[in-house]
Amino acid sequence: MRDSTHYIVDVSRIQNILKAKVWVSNTSSNEHITGIYASDLMSDVLAYGKPGSMLLTGLNTVQAVISAYMAEFRGVAFIRNKSPEEETLKFAREKGMFVLSTESDMYEACVKLATLESKVSEEVMEVEEVSKAENITTHSFFIDGNDFANAGLVSTQIKALLKSIGYDPQIIRRAAISTYEAEMNVVMHARKADVTLTASDKEIYIIFIDEGKGIKDIDLAMQEGYSTATEEQRALGFGAGMGLPNIKKNADELEINSVVDVGTRIEIYFYIK
Amino acid sequence: MKLKDIVENLSLDVLTNFEDKEVTGVYISDMLSDVMSNAQAGNLWVTIQTHKNIVAAANLIDISAVIVSQGTKVPDETIELANRYNVVILNTNDSTFTLSGKLYQLGIK
Repeated sequence: MRDSTHYIVDVSRIQNILKAKVWVSNTSSNEHITGIYASDLMSDVLAYGKPGSMLLTGLNTVQAVISAYMAEFRGVAFIRNKSPEEETLKFAREKGMFVLSTESDMYEACVKLATLESKVSEEVMEVEEVSKAENITTHSFFIDGNDFANAGLVSTQIKALLKSIGYDPQIIRRAAISTYEAEMNVVMHARKADVTLTASDKEIYIIFIDEGKGIKDIDLAMQEGYSTATEEQRALGFGAGMGLPNIKKNADELEINSVVDVGTRIEIYFYIK
Repeated sequence: MKLKDIVENLSLDVLTNFEDKEVTGVYISDMLSDVMSNAQAGNLWVTIQTHKNIVAAANLIDISAVIVSQGTKVPDETIELANRYNVVILNTNDSTFTLSGKLYQLGIK
């Protein structure tokens, strides 16, 4: 088992323990979390973070909150007294997530939280009401390569669309994570991409067609840890070589076609059972 | 506290040559520039980064050992480089958060 932490804690207790500053407070009534995930690498959060958790991170960019949202986290706490940017706070407010900051460094924050005694047996997570999707809908999006300021916006829109259609939260989470990883790949490695989402009561189909340098060796790119990202991109918490493996892990089917110096086509399928 | 005691108590996997060192604290980060500016000599460094650049960072600031958490696989080229510079790399299946609790219980403040 990768992580044995299951507990229900009120966010106000977290705030007390970390002596945290509250930047955004979640307005929903059940302000509690069911676990903690500490990481600065966003693919790691998307791969292993559990829904209902709080993200503890030193990565002070809007990508931290977007990743947390994609992974169905309740909120984010920034360590080492980092002041979140307005963009980060705005995103959190819109999505009903809380944002805290603490003076502690990562180790101190983890230790303080680990000593919380209120471990409770797993509570059944609230399940959103699911209504059946009926019609086929198609939506198109555009991603600009190297536009880190807007990275994550397309997947955020796709997630909102899937939610409004009323799919099962588990499928939405898997689709959101896959879409986000694919979007970040475009931002890091391509000039631009067209994205089309087709959603029906049988499947969710998302296709990314980018113009860019392409993937030389797809088998190699599918290996966890392999990355051609620059130091700058890694500093943003991406480029850990987990993107494509993460998509594969979440999707029911993944097809990749690529031509070097031309571009890459990624097709992701989720089947509705 | 000695590195050897920590390895034994937490059943950490030793991926490189082992050299016992004095551990003075813990620093957690996945960003190299952050580690290089804030970690102290003798600290245990907990991360899920496995790129060979971690060896250079650990070596530069005299980290007592790198613990790669979350069961993340460490590439051979990273291990080879670590052996060349006498950097100790350890592996655990625990998440960074869970591992922190255990290190604290051992008495590393």
